[in-house]
Amino acid sequence: MNSSQLFCRMLLTALAAGFSGIASAQPAEPIKIGVLTPLSGTYASLGQQVRWGIELATKEINDAGGIMGRKVELLFEDEEANPAVATPKAEKLFQVSKVDFLTGTVSSASTLAVGQVAERNDRLMATTVSFSDAITGDKCSPNVFRVNAKAGQQSVALAEWLSKAKPDAKVFYLGPDYEMGRSTVHAFKAAAEAKGAKTVGEVFAPLDNKDYSPFFGQIRAARPNVMYTSVAGNDTVRLFNQMSEYGLLRNLTVVGASGTVTSQNLGAMGKNAEGFTTGVGYSVDLDIPENKKFVAAFEAAYKAAPDLYGADSYGVMYFYKAAVEKAHSTDTAKVRAAMEGLAWMTPQGKKTMRAGDHQAVQDMYVTSLKDGRFKVLSKVDGAAAIGPDTCKRF
Amino acid sequence: MRDSTSAVLGALPSRPVLQREDVARNVLRWFAYVFVALALLFAVIAQVHGDVFFFRLATEALIYGGFAMGVDLLLGYTGLLSLGHALFFGLGAYTSAVVLKGLAPSFWLALAVTLCVSTVVGAIAGIIAIRARGVYFALITFGMAEVLAKAVFNTQELGGSDGIIGVPVIKANFLFFTVDTGNAAHFFFLVLAVIMVFYFALEALLRTPFGRLVVAIKANEDRVPFLGFNAQRHKLGIFVIAANVTALSGALYPMLRGFVSPELLYFHSSGNAVITVILGGVGTLIGPLFGSVILTGLKSIIGSYTEHHLIVIGLLFMCSVMFFPKGIVGSLKGLVESWLARRKEQS
Amino acid sequence: MSGFIDTLQFVFAPQIINGLSIGVAVVLMALGLTIIFGLLDVINMAHGEFYALGAYVGVTLMAIGVNFWVVLLLVPLIMAPLGYMTERLFIQRVFHQKDRHILTLLLTFGLAIVLEDVYKLIYGPQALSVKTPIGGGSEVLGVFFPNYRLFLMAIGAVIIVGVWLLVYRTSLGAMVRAAAFDKDMASSLGVPVSHVYAGTFAFGVALAGLAGVLLAPVYSVFPTMGKDFILLAFSVVIVGGLGSIKGALIAGLVLTQIQAISSLYISPSWTDPLVFAIMVAVLMIRPQGLFGRLGHA
Repeated sequence: MNSSQLFCRMLLTALAAGFSGIASAQPAEPIKIGVLTPLSGTYASLGQQVRWGIELATKEINDAGGIMGRKVELLFEDEEANPAVATPKAEKLFQVSKVDFLTGTVSSASTLAVGQVAERNDRLMATTVSFSDAITGDKCSPNVFRVNAKAGQQSVALAEWLSKAKPDAKVFYLGPDYEMGRSTVHAFKAAAEAKGAKTVGEVFAPLDNKDYSPFFGQIRAARPNVMYTSVAGNDTVRLFNQMSEYGLLRNLTVVGASGTVTSQNLGAMGKNAEGFTTGVGYSVDLDIPENKKFVAAFEAAYKAAPDLYGADSYGVMYFYKAAVEKAHSTDTAKVRAAMEGLAWMTPQGKKTMRAGDHQAVQDMYVTSLKDGRFKVLSKVDGAAAIGPDTCKRF
Repeated sequence: MRDSTSAVLGALPSRPVLQREDVARNVLRWFAYVFVALALLFAVIAQVHGDVFFFRLATEALIYGGFAMGVDLLLGYTGLLSLGHALFFGLGAYTSAVVLKGLAPSFWLALAVTLCVSTVVGAIAGIIAIRARGVYFALITFGMAEVLAKAVFNTQELGGSDGIIGVPVIKANFLFFTVDTGNAAHFFFLVLAVIMVFYFALEALLRTPFGRLVVAIKANEDRVPFLGFNAQRHKLGIFVIAANVTALSGALYPMLRGFVSPELLYFHSSGNAVITVILGGVGTLIGPLFGSVILTGLKSIIGSYTEHHLIVIGLLFMCSVMFFPKGIVGSLKGLVESWLARRKEQS
Repeated sequence: MSGFIDTLQFVFAPQIINGLSIGVAVVLMALGLTIIFGLLDVINMAHGEFYALGAYVGVTLMAIGVNFWVVLLLVPLIMAPLGYMTERLFIQRVFHQKDRHILTLLLTFGLAIVLEDVYKLIYGPQALSVKTPIGGGSEVLGVFFPNYRLFLMAIGAVIIVGVWLLVYRTSLGAMVRAAAFDKDMASSLGVPVSHVYAGTFAFGVALAGLAGVLLAPVYSVFPTMGKDFILLAFSVVIVGGLGSIKGALIAGLVLTQIQAISSLYISPSWTDPLVFAIMVAVLMIRPQGLFGRLGHA
């Protein structure tokens, strides 16, 4: 819309707010949503996609009139992929900025810590990135929801593929040493061993590790033919490039977690990432009409392709909108009830939020990197991939 | 009233002899009273505004002040620079978190267990460290903290790099009333009380013969055995006490924030404490408390303009080391003392 | 038997060689530190930040198009006057006081904090990567190695030998050693002691900066890079003996080899605490380290 239309709209909104203050119950105050995501550090590129996805969805929602007539206002804070930093910032967002809902956390550890803060402040939050199974498993919380696929869902699809592609797999595991890294390795190891793969070694590197060569000794000693890794962001770039420099990528099939190789870090690795295979809940090439529309809008707005984080973050805004509209309120208890069991439209098709553990159910795909693009190799149905509900708290 | 120095020569004084150190200690005590008064003033203002955020920030400043008091005890009074004191702060914080989360949500149990653990660890670390002097002492303490930090970082049972989250909000039982750590204002008062108890206890300790001997060690360690005292034992004793003060302050941290992480053990944490001591006033015990409040305030204010508050604080610190090594309280104390001396001459 | 030789060749040898390339880098860092302490009695807590400064200056020069090899020559030349000024402006101010050891330690610690934040301010917190100037790899003993790391070992060895020759075989080095041994005597014999102090500090800092540029392609350049490396460098210096060049060299190579071999059996993340524990043990048993001090050795 042009500026005079915008001005008129603002004027009318202001007048309406003024009059409604005298006349009826609620002024059309904006709905404040806190976005706590890494804006700096190793995972800054993930935070960038999260930001883009959320901003695109927010713009679309606001242009269409907002949620129940209220505009959505976003407040950004940097979680630095560190729960010790995320927690006080979450408190600030809840107590000082008084946000109605919080999302954007990337680090699984941050999601868990911020979930506690949300409980203390009686607010809801949703993660669009964190993989750790514990978030909707044994460490589940009534105030935390997850719209993206967890490690368990990724592993089911990938393990299935591996057992067919490499029946004599000897797998070496290398993950980043924190909640997400450990849980993704654990999840895939369980799924792969169940299908007959052998584990020949496991090691964890600190987040943001610069030099992986000290870790190569154990890899050489184990002589694997498959390597599973769940590093992400710049760590992936360093790992793959260094492995190539040391000639370790020869005769090695590399598989990993969904977020290990994405459009954000692919450029820095070039052909060193060729052949990387993963189980994932999203691909840019998904042949679904909602996805085609989403990808077109995303690329037009940001001149970059969306990845799974961008897509899921886009989806969370519509998830919240659908829940608030169903509940006719932003009250925590009512929205929570509306969210449980909610089905809503996303670029990946229709997703359902499982009430028992607040985990989204969605179809999973196995994709592989060929000539710089992820090709979809196979698909696993949502219900088959989701796994059992292990959340006992509610 | 006759001047104290003439009373020393000769006849039994009718009043206790006031040495120069005692005057200094009395002046410092007044600084302590001023500190408490300012804290109470702050509390009243914050309560009126119904604030939570600033109460928690102030409580954190007090906790770090307690941490710094331990460092000052070693540096200012014994002449030992501890560059790894975060070891004890983190030890106290983790012990408290584990007790509160795993054993029982009891304030007293957490403190008691922390005290036991830090006494043992402090004794072991002390025996290792005090054999060395000066710069080597600093490096040993630095090394020990690094070893523990990395060890905790690598240990999954302690939460690894993510730390321990989910420390419950507890109620501290005081017979006639309970303090809810979730209530920002009440917990602030509790922490203030605890830290001031530490201060006055340490202050009293330093007036005892044990305390005076420790100061003598700082002045000239080699002479002490000739006076018939065992310097090593006293150094170990003070080391353990310093460890305990810092560890107990650390034990309060998870009650405030609900989590602990390996960052608490890093050199950054030890370094902060040293900066607090130097800026506040080394060798004054109350200086670090003022220093901690000022540093926290500075970080908050500068932090709202720019992320790069460390440049300002670092430069302030360097200036202090070069031009004002006595720190804020140290310099002010000097002014007060000379003012008092002039008043005495006039009377 | 052949299995054992196989393991020796494909598992141990690469670890040892890789350890050497890291070791040489650590020794370069430690050399500057130990020389500064050996002569000036100053624990330079900001040494890691000078290492980072060299890397950042290098990155800046390369961004305006200067060739990597030219940068390698330029950076020490830029760092030396900076080190000289730091010594005259800051260290000298507290040098003549009674608590000089602690004061210089604290002062350089403060400088380190300021410098690290300055890097964050100017360059941002993200790691900047530097393109490897020598690409590709070669087969050494049947194992593939990146050429740049092999180059690092070679140039590191050259620099270390150069420093040793400078200190022990030139009259400049003799002046430095004389001032370290007895500064008043040296001064009365005509050695310009205060210039020697500042110059030595400058030299140590230049070495650190050079190490920063050399290692930039391996570790990338980021604000906390100084902090990461300095702990290891301090351990090396202490184990080797504060002030001993021989000590820094031997301790540097031995400690990094311990790290390399032990990473085959324990997670590499535990090799750092292992080295610190060794440092603490050495401080307990033999606080002066393996070898003596500059001027006294």
